[in-house]
Amino acid sequence: MMLTDLGYCYAEEMNQIALDIRGLAKQFGPKVAVDNVSLEVPTGSFYGLVGPNGAGKTTMLSMATGLLRPDAGQALVNGLDIWAQPQAAKSTLGVLADGVRQFDRLTGRQLVTYSGLLRGMERAEVTERTEDLLRVMDLSNDGDKLVVDYSAGMTKKISLATAMIHSPKLLVLDEPFEAVDPVSAANIRDILNDYVAYGGTVIVSSHVMDLVQRMCTHVAVIAGGVLKAQGSVDEVRGDMSLEDRFVDLVGGRGNNEGLSWLRTSSN
Amino acid sequence: MVAHILKLKLRLLGNGFKRSTGQLIGVIIGGVYALGMIVMLTLAAFYSAGQTQNAAELSIVLASVVVLGWAIVPPLLTGVDLTLEPSRFVHFGISQKILAPALVLSGFISLPAILTIIGLLGGTLLWRFEAGPMVAAVLAALVTAAMAVLVCQYLTILSTALRAKRRFRELTFALLFLVLICFGPIISSVAGAAQSMTDWLSPLSNVLSYTPFGAAAALPGALSESNFAKFAVCLLLAVIYLGGLYFLVARATAEATVTPPPEQRAAKQSGLGFFKFVPATPTGAVTARALTYWFKDPRYAIGVLMVPVLPLIFWFTGNQSGDYTMMYLIGPLIGILLGFSISADISYDNTAFALHVLTGVQGRADRAGRAFACFALSIIPVLLASILPGAIAGETWRIAGDLGISLAALLIALGVSSLASARYIYAVPLPGDNPMKTPPGNGMRVALTQLGTIGSMAILLLPVLIPYLMGWFQKSQALGLIALAVGLVEGIGLLVLGIILGGKWYEKRAPELMQAVMVNK
Repeated sequence: MMLTDLGYCYAEEMNQIALDIRGLAKQFGPKVAVDNVSLEVPTGSFYGLVGPNGAGKTTMLSMATGLLRPDAGQALVNGLDIWAQPQAAKSTLGVLADGVRQFDRLTGRQLVTYSGLLRGMERAEVTERTEDLLRVMDLSNDGDKLVVDYSAGMTKKISLATAMIHSPKLLVLDEPFEAVDPVSAANIRDILNDYVAYGGTVIVSSHVMDLVQRMCTHVAVIAGGVLKAQGSVDEVRGDMSLEDRFVDLVGGRGNNEGLSWLRTSSN
Repeated sequence: MVAHILKLKLRLLGNGFKRSTGQLIGVIIGGVYALGMIVMLTLAAFYSAGQTQNAAELSIVLASVVVLGWAIVPPLLTGVDLTLEPSRFVHFGISQKILAPALVLSGFISLPAILTIIGLLGGTLLWRFEAGPMVAAVLAALVTAAMAVLVCQYLTILSTALRAKRRFRELTFALLFLVLICFGPIISSVAGAAQSMTDWLSPLSNVLSYTPFGAAAALPGALSESNFAKFAVCLLLAVIYLGGLYFLVARATAEATVTPPPEQRAAKQSGLGFFKFVPATPTGAVTARALTYWFKDPRYAIGVLMVPVLPLIFWFTGNQSGDYTMMYLIGPLIGILLGFSISADISYDNTAFALHVLTGVQGRADRAGRAFACFALSIIPVLLASILPGAIAGETWRIAGDLGISLAALLIALGVSSLASARYIYAVPLPGDNPMKTPPGNGMRVALTQLGTIGSMAILLLPVLIPYLMGWFQKSQALGLIALAVGLVEGIGLLVLGIILGGKWYEKRAPELMQAVMVNK
């Protein structure tokens, strides 16, 4: 019911691929951050993107959402190249970027309103959806507080609201559950599941394998800027748990020598 | 431990230069300029040795100027590089007996401090013919440099603590600024009253020699005159001042290391504020957002402070000379200053700018929104500043011309900065940071940018300036009206051009701007 409130519309002639990443590559000086990654995110899927710290997840998502110009490759959002037709592509795309600030001297209500008006939406629609979003994010009582005074979890939620106000067809969420309390996380998961059920597509990046295994229909594993595996969750994990499969693919488990001096009992 | 912290400061200084070549070039140009000044000063001291009767007085005044400069300029105007803010050491549990001296000493590891020491040492050459005073002078130079750095540190810590209180911060800031502004005129009126330089040099230096500013610097003079009583008194005072100040700084540092950051009361604003009053378009939204920031973000408030201060300075200066012509410059100057205040707008957004990139807002809407917000705030002061001087002086014929030049200045400055800020990002204090904190090497770049700015403004204003000045000299209202017409047409034209062209640049470079604000340089 929540997302019908948001007026989500299901286009008839939808692309089969919501996000089509073709050979994206990015190099920072000598360091190759993303190495020729191709990825197809089917429309209507709940797609998990997993990888260790520094694997290039954020870099790849930044390139796919128009925040970072790739050295090579293309990213098609609902069939539109985000670098060739940025405005058209971005109008069907909602993004929760990781590690960026918000205009935090605005109140939560102002920030969500701002995000709607920036996209050229009607004022009445913006007002209605802003209140809906504040309600489902459990921020109705904090809508008049400055975002700078929000906790980390509240900031995540308000950022998510700014990414959803224009009812995009594709949501790209970089670490959406980081610092979010379990209750809010469950609420956000409900919203996202609902959204996918009505034909939307979600990509989340995460470190939490358990969460991805339970929540996502598809998963891609990226490590060292290289795509290690992609497909439906069952295809990728085989008969292992996703976490074991992930460690298997990525490697790098310590040799278990540990920190002998950290054993406080030895003092 | 002390050595560790000093090494940390050295490393930070070094790494600061590694961040960007532009910054390094800024530092080098600034350094060469400062070194040039020091060489000149040293040469002057070298050749004046034994030539001047006023060596003692000059030493005292020079030292006082240095200490006063350190007390005023960094804490109030340019900001201090507080990488080693005491509060950053809260978590380390370092004994305060070690931390306080370490942080105090680390204050000397900065280019300005090193240059100050070299400069003061160069100045001691004034005493090179007399062995005893020369030794005393070198000692005095080191003490003076220590005083300067300590005063600066103490005032910085104090002002940081004061600034933590949001409301208080803005008020004290304005007050200090006003006091500072009045300082110059007071000194110059005292100077004007005296018959000749020696007339005021002697009493002034005499007074200063008993203050923290000049006590140490009075030592070589007293020794040279064999005035041992004064030597003893000044020596005692210098020791007391230095020791006392060190004690104060150490105590303030120690306090800061155990005081958790002050709690900010959550600010509330019901409703949508400016968002309610703007048209529901992307441009309107950007305008509302920018207006909100002008009122909520202290980094913007500093730019606005110049508006009431400028008329005050000019009025004081006019009061001195009895010639108020300068008052007519206020309108165009405020126009230029306010118009250019949006040239760092995207830098101030920092990574919040991502929202603009992600929503794919049109470049034109972004540019126009920011320009409109600034225009809405500036137009009243600019109108007042251009109408009032002529009206008060009873020279109503000139109001049209004054309006023309001021409005043109504001509009053209808005146009130029709409264009420039779509291209250039500079290092600014981060959102929520101390607004006075400046990255090293930035001062020089700001100075260069301003030079370029004023240069380009002078050229762009030429079509208005010609009829304006002709009208001024001929006291012709008709020419003033021509200036007004030319100013409006050219100003609006350049503003529109700046928005359109800036919008194009913006759309082409939005991702690059995004990456630039992420590193903030």
